[in-house]
Amino acid sequence: MINCISSLASTTGALDAERTRLAVIAQNIANANTTRGVDGHAYRRQQVVFDTVLQHARNPNGGQESSSVPRVSRVVDDPRVGSAIYQPGHKDADAKGMVLLPNVDLYTEQADMIVASRAYEANVAVFKNGRSMAMQALSIGKR
Amino acid sequence: MNPLTSIRQLWSAMPTGNVSPTDKAANSGISIPSAELRELNAGQATAGVLDVQPANGSFSGLLSQLVQGVDAKQQIAGQSLRDLQSGQNVSLHQTMISMEEASVSFQLMVEVRNKLLESYQELMRMQV
Repeated sequence: MINCISSLASTTGALDAERTRLAVIAQNIANANTTRGVDGHAYRRQQVVFDTVLQHARNPNGGQESSSVPRVSRVVDDPRVGSAIYQPGHKDADAKGMVLLPNVDLYTEQADMIVASRAYEANVAVFKNGRSMAMQALSIGKR
Repeated sequence: MNPLTSIRQLWSAMPTGNVSPTDKAANSGISIPSAELRELNAGQATAGVLDVQPANGSFSGLLSQLVQGVDAKQQIAGQSLRDLQSGQNVSLHQTMISMEEASVSFQLMVEVRNKLLESYQELMRMQV
């Protein structure tokens, strides 16, 4: 198939990965006060792990061309323990009246969100540049 | 939805020996001598753009493959847009990227057509 815009595979993969990262951050922020998660304990902060896969495509000269495409390989739990507050009347309080809070730190999540947003922006800029280069190449033929 | 499918049908309806580069030339009933176009094809000026090599090596085959490639991109973009609208697992940027890709390859096809028409008009203006 025609390949007009270069480096599409890596850029699309990066955009997908950043989108997943934003979804995970949104989940963390949404559950910042959840004292009972699916496993019955306080919610644990999730974080994404990126890795890269080689994607092979045929280049216009007939040879193989491989690009390193980033992706989210897995979503892992943050192992740190969250803080506990003394709240004896709480439903999830232990025998000493302590309630274990999620280990989500809103400031960290905000910073991560900025990183994800900027990375997404950078990849969109790469795509826009690729498109404008293609359009400039097409304008060679114009008079 | 897809303006290119009609062009492609028009293309396949054309006789192969009588190469007409554009639908306009076909409608006006003028045929361009195919020898020059074959020489153009031998130069492989546009062959690098295409993924698939022309099967019969004719210039019309090359062009119809270009149109088919652009058509395929438009179909992919349309399908992606439909999937997004119907709530499938397609992200917004994938749809936008496939639409932009379709747009750029369509521009490429238009430029090729312009060039062909230009050279045809140049030939017709030639004094004998």
